[in-house]
Amino acid sequence: MNTEDTFKPKPAREPVPTHVVGQFSWGLTIIFVLASACWVLLPYTGYLFSALVFLMVIVLAGTRWNRGPVLAMAVVSALVWNFIFIPPQFTLHIEKPQDIIMFAIFFVVALSMGHLITRLREREAALERHHREREELLAQKHRAELLAESERLHRTLLDSISHELKTPIAIIRTALDGLGQGNPYAAEIETANRRLQRIVENFLEMTRVESEALKPHLDWCEIGDVLHATTTPLHRELAEHPSIITGIESLPLLMLDSRLLAQALGNVLHNATLYAPAGTPVEIAVSLTNNTLEFRVHDHGPGLALGIEEHLFDKFYRAPDSPAGGTGLGLAIARGLMRAMKGDIEAHNHPEGGAEFMLRLPVKTRTT
Amino acid sequence: MPKALIIDDEQQMRRLLRMVLESRGYAVCEAADGQLGLQEAAFHRPDVVLLDLGLPGMSGIDVLKRLREWSDVPVLILSVRDQETVKVEALEAGADDYVTKPFGTAELLARLDVIQRRRFTRQSAEITAGPLTLNLLHHEATLNDTPLKLTPTEFALLKTLAEHAGRIVTQNQIVRQVWAGQSSDPSEGLRVHINHLRKKLGESGPRIVNEPGIGYRLEEL
Repeated sequence: MNTEDTFKPKPAREPVPTHVVGQFSWGLTIIFVLASACWVLLPYTGYLFSALVFLMVIVLAGTRWNRGPVLAMAVVSALVWNFIFIPPQFTLHIEKPQDIIMFAIFFVVALSMGHLITRLREREAALERHHREREELLAQKHRAELLAESERLHRTLLDSISHELKTPIAIIRTALDGLGQGNPYAAEIETANRRLQRIVENFLEMTRVESEALKPHLDWCEIGDVLHATTTPLHRELAEHPSIITGIESLPLLMLDSRLLAQALGNVLHNATLYAPAGTPVEIAVSLTNNTLEFRVHDHGPGLALGIEEHLFDKFYRAPDSPAGGTGLGLAIARGLMRAMKGDIEAHNHPEGGAEFMLRLPVKTRTT
Repeated sequence: MPKALIIDDEQQMRRLLRMVLESRGYAVCEAADGQLGLQEAAFHRPDVVLLDLGLPGMSGIDVLKRLREWSDVPVLILSVRDQETVKVEALEAGADDYVTKPFGTAELLARLDVIQRRRFTRQSAEITAGPLTLNLLHHEATLNDTPLKLTPTEFALLKTLAEHAGRIVTQNQIVRQVWAGQSSDPSEGLRVHINHLRKKLGESGPRIVNEPGIGYRLEEL
């Protein structure tokens, strides 16, 4: 595959880069040019002058270039000095003992200057790199802290809004329970309160889905438990729509977030009960193929109007013939939840009539 | 007359709960924040505490932890927060059960009954939960007087659930009681054994209900 090539590790030894080769040739060229110049000036300056010139170039080169070329320059200039300038000229032989000592000193000084200066520069560069990395790390840490802080603020705000909105609903509910059954006005308030509760919960859930604060908690799950958690909160709605569940008998344990899945499935189921006429069943077929769990929720309602499939899962979208009292968020939340779990949801009309919603989810499995 | 302590910062909620509880024969005291709640708990020695998690100042979880340092009074959590992590945290800090606001009064009272009942059931070698009886002395379980064939793990699991019959038990609490750190992936093993238990309890037995992300509850019939 292509991607494998791009992720290959770099070879351990790299070939000598071209700029280092360039430094070698420049170094040698400079030595020879200077040697020629000093040769011309030799009658006026004496042969010691050229040694100092060579030392100076080595030091200058050391401040810019890599160690290899600089040390090569040191060696070559020592040999050139010996060969051309130290009498007797044009031999490597040295006559006077003080010249031998001078040559030795030159050799040692040139080499150690080259070595020391390049090392100094490398250290400086390493230090600077280190410094940059530290700055980069600090900046990253700072960004992460900011992000965590804004996430925490967001959650605190959401918690507080959630508390403020749900508390009055809870108070109304408890007070209504105290009034007791049988009062038709109380029954109306209760219906409205339920509706309000659903709207508030949908808004809060949508905010949570959109803030990406939603992190699935995967654990082994029994699919029967997920469906139980799906249908229990909907027992009122499902009283008029018997749910027929097939395909769960042979399913193994599955690794998934049962709360998020139950919620997504619950929203789809609730949607089906809104549109299908009372008394018609809602069929839920569950299947598992190649580690993909699939739910098909089929209702016996009027089906989807032409061309609304692509808008169905948009926020606040409401189909033209929707009954009053929805927010257009239920299916958007379902899709957000499924996508947070790396799954997806789609809808189409069933060949036998009614709408069919398909929820797919990648899962890990283990047979019981 | 049983005494109930309500710790909630919403005055209206406290007033309503007081009315509900008094009509059920409770003597009620209330506190508007955690500090006061702890003082009331120490002073009145209530038989049950209704604790809101979202309190100003000291959080409900902290109140619970402080309370648990010296008291094992049954605590029912009332909270608008429905994230499972919060519930698990509260249960593992020593809460006996929770109800999410908005709640039905019937549900609230049922939960209150259940969490107070367990005070008196720990004395004998027998645990009963509806048609189910566990004999801890002989490690025998019977359902409607018919003996159940259970493995030792299944028995330990059923015992943990039956001891807390009607109450939620978190997954960690079950694993700690039944496996005590032996199994490599207790979550998977737990589900497998729950499955087996459900089959053995059948249709006539009490149901083991899962609450996603939290744990299990043995439902009384």
